[in-house]
Amino acid sequence: MVGSFGPIVIAIAIATAFGLLPLFLSGLIIPKMPDRVKNAPYECGVETIGPTSIQFHTRYYLYALLFVIFDVEAVFLFPWAVAYRHLGLFALTEVVIFIGLLLVGYVYAWRKGALQWV
Amino acid sequence: MNVAILSPEISLGAAAAVILLAEAFSAGNLSRVAILALATLGIAVSAAFLIPAQLAGVPTSSFSGAFIQNGFTIYFKLLMLMATFLVLLGSGRFLAQAEGRRAELVALVLLTTAALMLLVSSTELITLYISLEMASLSTAFLAAWMKHQERSAEAGLKFFLLNALSSAVLLYGIALLYGITGQTQLNGIARELVGGATPALLLALALLLAGFGFKVSAVPFHMWTPDVYEGAPTPITAYLSVASKAAGFAVIVRVLQTALPGVQTEWVGLIAILAAVTMTVGNIVAMVQTNIKRMLAYSTIAQAGYILVGVAAGTGQGLGAVLFYLAAYTATNLGAFIAIVEIADRTGSERTSDFAGLHARAPWLAFALAISLLSLAGLPPLAGFFAKIYVFWAAIQTGLGWLVLLGVLNSAISLFYYAQVIHHMYMVPAPSPAPGRSLPTLVAGLTVAIAGVFALGIFSGFFMGLAETAARTLTQ
Repeated sequence: MVGSFGPIVIAIAIATAFGLLPLFLSGLIIPKMPDRVKNAPYECGVETIGPTSIQFHTRYYLYALLFVIFDVEAVFLFPWAVAYRHLGLFALTEVVIFIGLLLVGYVYAWRKGALQWV
Repeated sequence: MNVAILSPEISLGAAAAVILLAEAFSAGNLSRVAILALATLGIAVSAAFLIPAQLAGVPTSSFSGAFIQNGFTIYFKLLMLMATFLVLLGSGRFLAQAEGRRAELVALVLLTTAALMLLVSSTELITLYISLEMASLSTAFLAAWMKHQERSAEAGLKFFLLNALSSAVLLYGIALLYGITGQTQLNGIARELVGGATPALLLALALLLAGFGFKVSAVPFHMWTPDVYEGAPTPITAYLSVASKAAGFAVIVRVLQTALPGVQTEWVGLIAILAAVTMTVGNIVAMVQTNIKRMLAYSTIAQAGYILVGVAAGTGQGLGAVLFYLAAYTATNLGAFIAIVEIADRTGSERTSDFAGLHARAPWLAFALAISLLSLAGLPPLAGFFAKIYVFWAAIQTGLGWLVLLGVLNSAISLFYYAQVIHHMYMVPAPSPAPGRSLPTLVAGLTVAIAGVFALGIFSGFFMGLAETAARTLTQ
């Protein structure tokens, strides 16, 4: 057990040292002359205006939820489509039932007004 | 591959889809009676598939042995269908008030039942886990169903998070078991486990028991139970306390009996300790509760303890006793909860002290609740008495005398708080007459449940025979 995992443990140790050692060494030898600009957090792009935490409308949540369902549906459809020729009629029936069930939910959400932006 | 074996579950799913579509196309105002009729139809069709399968008596399996149908699974499925039907009958006024959203509730209940039915039939760990998650997810929605009430939202969130934690623990157990044996089929695992208990196997066993212990709210994994039971809508609490619990026990006995007979001495010890702690803590904490739903939540924890005594017995007789206990417990708890739905609705309070003088205001409700509580306490000739006798008898024969002694002591303790409610209803004078008449559906549901409590008690020999026959098919 230990023998077969030995190289991995050594690799992890070397990788960690490789990352941390330069930071430690440069920390030892660099000249330290901090000023206001140097201490500011590094960032790319334009400085933000106003508070950065804003509130999203909860309505987005409903759309996201509905989106995820159909997103996952697509994920399931890709492998089915690739293997379609081998699977035949049985898989076709299954996929039709699967989409049918999702449609029931979709129709329900639609008729209940979940897609209306009030 | 035999898809027809899934017909009972598919019928329930189809009923749920039909209810949702009907609601969608009736301008969001499908009547309560129409929804209940559709749900009843779905349940009846499902039962109509199960009963011939039971009479045929031939165990069938499908999906490479991941799904099995035999006497054991059919017993549990019929029990859960009955429980679902009674809960729907009992939720009459609650549904009547929930304009526009009631179809969702009924559809979710049907889908949960379908998932629980899949669960009792799974003989493979992945199928088992997925069915469990299906049931838990819809349960979380049901608990949070009154989303504008803080309590209900809290119940849903609490259930969701703690359930996720327990599922993670369960998955660790499953992963370890798979790592040890290279199998996910339960009987395959039993085949591979020949060497006896290794540390890894014991760890897997402990993790599995912790995961399943959460589902049946065994102490110390019971923390969610009182809060969720109190916050969830009362009909849903009734549903949770019977259907989910029955399925949880079905899974525990199946996994222990078919996958882990090799470490029976170890799990008998663990289950016995769980049983002892569960019934003691449940009963002692129930004594100080003032909210009737919280009290009954701790009471169901205590009941889970008694059932675990039967699981610990581990013999065929013990299994039969567990199955009989679950039937008796289902009838009794439904009786109590349906009565409480109506009483709380009329008095507008769930406090035990507000039940004062109920026998003068609503004699039938008071009688039904009193009978249910006495049956929970285990008084003859009610169902609860014989259920306890069978469980304890099976445990004595396998040398668990100390556990039985503790169980008897606990029953005596439990009588204290059950009797307190009865005392309030019958001895304390009524403050004011409460208005209102019960819906006929609720009265029917309550009557069936109470009739069940009496029938399971008086004809206990016959029903115990049925339970033992069903239990025997598990280990075949």
